[in-house]
Amino acid sequence: MPPTTFASSLATKRQRRQIDYSLASLALWASLWAVFFAFLFYPIAFMLKGAVWHEGRFTLTFFALLLQDPALADALKGSFGLALTTTLLTLSLAVPIAFVMVRYELPMKSALNLLLLVPMISPPFVSAVAVRQLLARYGPLNQLLMAVGLVDPLNPPSWLDFPFWGIVILQVLHFLPIAYLNAVAALVRVDRSLEDAAKSLGSSGWHLFRTITLPLMMPGLFAAASLVFILAFTDLGTPLIFNYQRVVALRIFHMVETALENPSGYALVLVVMALSLLTFWAGKRWMERWQVQTLPRGPADSGEEKLPSSLAGAISLAILLVTFVAILPQVAVVLNAFSDRWFMTVLPDRWTLRHFQNLLVHPLTLTSLRNSLLYSLASASLDILLGLTIAYLVVRRKAPLPNWLDGAAMLPLAVPGIVVAFGYVGAFANTPLDPRINPVPLLVIAYAIRRLPYMVRACYAGLQQASEALEEAALNLGASPLRAFVQITLPQIVPHLVTGGIMAFAFAMLEVSDSLILAFEQNYFPITKAIYALANRLEGGAQMASAMGVLGMLVLALALTLSLRLMGRRLGEVFRL
Amino acid sequence: MVAVRLQGIVKWLGKTLVLRGVDLTVEGGEFFFVLGPSGCGKTTLLRIVAGFLVPDEGQVFFGDREVTTVPPHKRNAAMVFQHYALFPHMTVWDNVAYGLRLRKLPRKETEWRIREALKLVRLEGFERRYPSQLSGGQQQRVALARAIAVHPDVLLLDEPLSNLDAKLRAEMRGELKALQRQLGVTAIYVTHDQKEALAMADRMAVMKDGMILQVGTPTDLYRRPASRFVAEFLGDANIWDGRIIAVHADGVEVETPFGKLHCQRPDFSVQVGDAVWVMVRPEAVQVTRGDEGTSAENTFVARLVRATYLGEAMELVLRLSNAEIKALHFRPDGGLPDEVRLKVAADDLRLLPRHEATAPTD
Repeated sequence: MPPTTFASSLATKRQRRQIDYSLASLALWASLWAVFFAFLFYPIAFMLKGAVWHEGRFTLTFFALLLQDPALADALKGSFGLALTTTLLTLSLAVPIAFVMVRYELPMKSALNLLLLVPMISPPFVSAVAVRQLLARYGPLNQLLMAVGLVDPLNPPSWLDFPFWGIVILQVLHFLPIAYLNAVAALVRVDRSLEDAAKSLGSSGWHLFRTITLPLMMPGLFAAASLVFILAFTDLGTPLIFNYQRVVALRIFHMVETALENPSGYALVLVVMALSLLTFWAGKRWMERWQVQTLPRGPADSGEEKLPSSLAGAISLAILLVTFVAILPQVAVVLNAFSDRWFMTVLPDRWTLRHFQNLLVHPLTLTSLRNSLLYSLASASLDILLGLTIAYLVVRRKAPLPNWLDGAAMLPLAVPGIVVAFGYVGAFANTPLDPRINPVPLLVIAYAIRRLPYMVRACYAGLQQASEALEEAALNLGASPLRAFVQITLPQIVPHLVTGGIMAFAFAMLEVSDSLILAFEQNYFPITKAIYALANRLEGGAQMASAMGVLGMLVLALALTLSLRLMGRRLGEVFRL
Repeated sequence: MVAVRLQGIVKWLGKTLVLRGVDLTVEGGEFFFVLGPSGCGKTTLLRIVAGFLVPDEGQVFFGDREVTTVPPHKRNAAMVFQHYALFPHMTVWDNVAYGLRLRKLPRKETEWRIREALKLVRLEGFERRYPSQLSGGQQQRVALARAIAVHPDVLLLDEPLSNLDAKLRAEMRGELKALQRQLGVTAIYVTHDQKEALAMADRMAVMKDGMILQVGTPTDLYRRPASRFVAEFLGDANIWDGRIIAVHADGVEVETPFGKLHCQRPDFSVQVGDAVWVMVRPEAVQVTRGDEGTSAENTFVARLVRATYLGEAMELVLRLSNAEIKALHFRPDGGLPDEVRLKVAADDLRLLPRHEATAPTD
């Protein structure tokens, strides 16, 4: 037997490895990593250095200072409580709704399915402006309660004294669609034959749900929970409007001004990021632990059960009620935007288009509208470019370490917007990209990176559907790889690309934390920052802010409708963790 | 030991009529097979017995108790699923315990029955494993243990072996049969694999297009199929056109494309001139190299077209004027000449009616 040398075994290994990467794909791969390093890892590393490196020495003083500051400890506790409450309430609403929607024949089902998604069309921050008016001491809610005699007209309750619950309610209503889509996806994946097996062993009803259905949904639900938790934990806009200081996001916002002088800000941001990453990681871990136990599954039997028509009607009505409540904040925004006089009455008593006309003449609003359109268009294009390249390299395994690339692309799900934005302010200060001078490039990049996970997902879904065999056939017939991709694969995934692009555009239009933190000069304000600036003005500011909110909602609603048309039920895949 | 009786079962699934009036009685303690091609309604039938579906017409009885609309969890009919349907979030122990805990038995009894069930399927020592840590065959046995642990009145099996590899499948056949004997439980087993049915069944039913074509023991059905479909579904068969030319007390004479055959009288009434099919199994065709002539009854000289070596036998294709015959030649000793003599016993020839309740496919 000939002795096998290390070199010869290496040679065989090399021969066995079928993939050899083309120069072009390696170049793409390298430039993607360059983007990630420059705009995701570097800002974080910069903050890390700022937080632990002071006057040439390693120090943990700033972290120690954080822990000693009672106001900060309070804010951390506040954010944690807020996020936990929101998450639990959101899921306990979403799971039962998902269950009845998936399992039973219900009247008006497709309409309900659409209505449940409506709260997505505006960030809770925009609704908060209007809801704040709604909840005022002599505001419409108390007027309504007085009218039916539930509230003492001389001493109406002051709802805004409970900003915590105001924020919770707005967040729950806003996150309900995402939680609902996730719960539906989790439920659909439950193998019905497992439930049949349990039934044939004597289980039924609540016992069946508790011992089989719910545990099998858990991975998906836990993932959804960690997503909602992170979003609620780092939500900046809603607490800002309610002026609720007991949350970390607000503390961080206030520290932006002094970011360069006071490293405590970096330390705080890093703590928030660590918590988010931990939550995200726990969610992922759980999902994987359960997925290991997935067994070969039977044919999907997606039968909907019939219910007695009165019961089905009652369920539909209940869901309709929930969606009605969920849409109320949006309704308040619309009412506010058209109200001329809304004082001491349940509904506005005079209507006007004045606020919309004002939008067109007011320098701040017009500029911000134009800015936002420009930023969103640029970031959506960037997203399509980045997302398509990443998805292609990962799905088709055209570059080394595809899992790492995927991990980096998904990281923005776990790294909150305030973290990235705060890092940019520090890391790019006194560079050509300094946001205090011109925030446009960084705003566009920040928007793009924040929505990249969704874009990449949409592209994954497209590429996995597009048959690789077709591309191979083209190659086999003599087409170059680029030509085969452009002529054969690209046309198949256009709907996914367009959907991803529309969503990226729409969310960039109404992005809150990056916009609030990165835009310093008024002439660079995007609409969300303009809404924030307007909302704090006394005379008619809230109405104008609402009018802008209405415009933003229209854009987002249009975008969602379009993507729903293009993607149908598969839209849920894009919003999963 | 509970008998299962189905009466006039009709079931629509959506706009498809899946079962068209099925009557069936499975005796207590019997290992009963329902055999049929995919889409024949056999799984629907099983799901009706389990209670997952309620028939549109007809009734289901367990013994004297009518269970037609009784929900599955109140039937005590445990099912073994094609993909096992083991609960992935529970250990082997908890899977088997699931049904017992619902029955609120004393703790000691529960534990004893889990051990008993695991012992029966020879999986002691695997209690703390999760299903994903088991091989396909082991998962299959857990599914079986989980079903028998609850001491069901009726054990239902939905193609339980179809996801195992050929060797394991053959092994499990023997084990399953022995286990069913030992438990004495009434068992209904649904499959499309005729070998499984022939190997394990006490009695079996062949289904097609939502109807039961024939019920009987494996030997009955294999040797004396009542229709061309049953004959072909249960194994290889030579089938020729034939016409009755004479009816005697001890049999009938049939004219076939290659000559006259003497057959036993069929179960259905025939007259001279009737068109029939003549069926014979390849292994019943006796092939010799002898030169004894063809004067004996049902004996012909044929030309050897092709011989395929199968190991235990040689599969021969023979040509006889304008008909082809498949034959199995056991213990082939050396080659065969181009011209061979073949003989079929009247016992092995089976006449089949040209008109069936349902039109045969192909």
